[in-house]
Amino acid sequence: MDLTPYLLPLLIFGLTVALTALLSRLAHLVVEQAMSQSNPQVAAGAALLASVVIWLIGAVVIIQQLGISPDILLLVVGLLGVAALLSLREQLENYGGKYFSDIYSPYKVGDSIRFREHEGKVIEINAMTTILLSEDDHLIAVPNSMFMREVVVNTTPQAWRELTFPVSIGGSVDLAAFEGGVLRSLSKLRTRLDRRFPPVITTRSRTPLSTELTVTVMIRRPEDREAITLEVNKRIMEARGKAPPTPPKAAGDGRGEPPATPPPGTAPPP
Amino acid sequence: MTPGDPLTLCINTQTPLVQLLTNPGGADSATSRPTELSELKEGVDYRISPGGVTRMVLPLVRRLQAEHVLDDVHWVALNPSGPRTLRLGSLTLHNVGLERERMAGYGHVKEAIWGAVHGLEAAQGAEELLWTEHYSEYAYYNRASAETIQKLEKTVDFDAFYVHDFQQLAVGHMLNTLKPKIFRWHIPFDDSMIPEEWRSWLAAYFNSYDMVVVSARRYLDSLKAFGHTGKVRKMYPYVDPADFSTPSEEVVRAAALARGIPENSPVLLVVGRMDPMKGQDRAIRAFAPVAARFPEARLVLVGNGSFSGSKGGLGLSKSARWRAELEALVAELGLGTRVVFTGHVDQLELDCLYERAMFTILPSVQEGFGLVVVESWLHRRPTLITDRAGIAELVEHGRNGLLFDPEDMAKLADQMTELLTDDGSRRQRLGQAGYRTSSKCTVGSAARLEEKLLRDVTGG
Repeated sequence: MDLTPYLLPLLIFGLTVALTALLSRLAHLVVEQAMSQSNPQVAAGAALLASVVIWLIGAVVIIQQLGISPDILLLVVGLLGVAALLSLREQLENYGGKYFSDIYSPYKVGDSIRFREHEGKVIEINAMTTILLSEDDHLIAVPNSMFMREVVVNTTPQAWRELTFPVSIGGSVDLAAFEGGVLRSLSKLRTRLDRRFPPVITTRSRTPLSTELTVTVMIRRPEDREAITLEVNKRIMEARGKAPPTPPKAAGDGRGEPPATPPPGTAPPP
Repeated sequence: MTPGDPLTLCINTQTPLVQLLTNPGGADSATSRPTELSELKEGVDYRISPGGVTRMVLPLVRRLQAEHVLDDVHWVALNPSGPRTLRLGSLTLHNVGLERERMAGYGHVKEAIWGAVHGLEAAQGAEELLWTEHYSEYAYYNRASAETIQKLEKTVDFDAFYVHDFQQLAVGHMLNTLKPKIFRWHIPFDDSMIPEEWRSWLAAYFNSYDMVVVSARRYLDSLKAFGHTGKVRKMYPYVDPADFSTPSEEVVRAAALARGIPENSPVLLVVGRMDPMKGQDRAIRAFAPVAARFPEARLVLVGNGSFSGSKGGLGLSKSARWRAELEALVAELGLGTRVVFTGHVDQLELDCLYERAMFTILPSVQEGFGLVVVESWLHRRPTLITDRAGIAELVEHGRNGLLFDPEDMAKLADQMTELLTDDGSRRQRLGQAGYRTSSKCTVGSAARLEEKLLRDVTGG
């Protein structure tokens, strides 16, 4: 049986998938690099979008090669998109609100904020709402989308001092090395930062694929806020790029000299 | 977990429980199999690290495991030259690696924190330190400890985390967990000595724990005065009396002679690592006029560096420098062989020296607690105790010990003379009263308090 008619399309299919994967990765890196001075989450989002777009184009090409008209696929995707937009409009607005509040809104969990006639401590920011705990112990749920349209006042004392940067690093990245790199790099900005508070890195969540962190710095002068935000972002991204993977689990992995046998009488006492 | 169930605990210290002296069978080199310490010989292949923290925690773990308060216990500690994992009975030891080049930076910051908390002038400028390369190494080590624990937690469902000593303070913040975190602060805490620039930093890290445990009432009060609003508990440190023996007179005599101590010489014993804060210089200065009056008396200084100063540890050279200074002081005062430096001694020799001692002295300038006083009490030896030690609050002057101000060396000399001229009855009374007091600092009494602490924080 002659398999040539099947092998060639299969080969082309495989090459197209490989090329798409390569281009997608390339697009991811280029966008990430181009946006290295932006907020890390925005940069990551844009890089992901670029990656997805390349894959969509790749999918269209692959379908064409398989002899199927891509028009149907495009039509289905388009209709599904419109349907999703119409039916999930509010949820998407809230989700978008949450996304942007993480990045741009000057409040976080633990802060006290005032919004319209409501005032309370932020105890949760989920995908849909921000939950406030009022002084009279009431829970107030505010749709995240509202924060994009309305004025919100952060009443936490000295809230302007604190800048919190969400960062996502790969699950295989050596967090200790990344942290060391961030601290070293940010120490160059120390004259602009509150000297009593070195940058603090907090782990928010982790999966095998990624670790979500926040880097918090305290600034000295409110007028430096924007400039410091940009510079700190850039430095975090650089540190992320340089962070090595977690060392493998084996002895003799650069962990110092082999065990020494101390001479009698020189063992370390209390 | 239901109330009363055995708990699974993760302990974190800087000093590792075990230090390997050899590398038997390429321990843990290519495989992930933990090195079984039961297959090795203590004293030949490995030794249990000396020091207050390890000496305290090991008997506690053993006792609570025997009483089924604890079941699975994992102990994470710094050990630059050890294998990754060791097993000691039902205890699993995990070593955190730290490259040599990072060690110096970590050690530098650790010493600075220690100095700052002890009010040393050299620790000033701490604000600057928080922005140095050294600080990033300190953070690296704490993060590496936290990461080791987090990885463990993927396979072991811990009930609580028990972090020991100031070096590990940042670990609590770095542990991303909802489980309770306990921090035991072993060194002194005097609010008035904390430099202003360290306060916010310290406060933030203390607040990351569900419970902070200190070694004396005065530290608890001071931590509250410092502004810590979280839960704090006072618990005296402790030892396991079973670790101490009473060697025969013959063995004691032989051990003393081997150290060049003449047969009938009264021995004044100081036990502590070689560190300026331990105040050995005070004991030597106070001893000078006493030695003139009692030429046979010998001041015996036992101790060397800590894990930080050891070759297998951090390799800091503070202890060697301090010993050289003390030896110079001995020469300057013309005390010659009347001051004996033993360096580190094993437990049997230590027991011999306690038995051989007429009395012991704790001359520290600052002392978190002073477990060597408890050791001395267990041997029914009277003690002269610095009033700056945490244990001083257990001492009633003249009943179970004699207290002195470490800056007042004339008074210390008077107390030495007092006990040297005593016909023995007072020394015996002090020793007996001390022995009774020691029951407050034994693992037996502490086990119940530690269990209650663990049950309280875990709600179990």
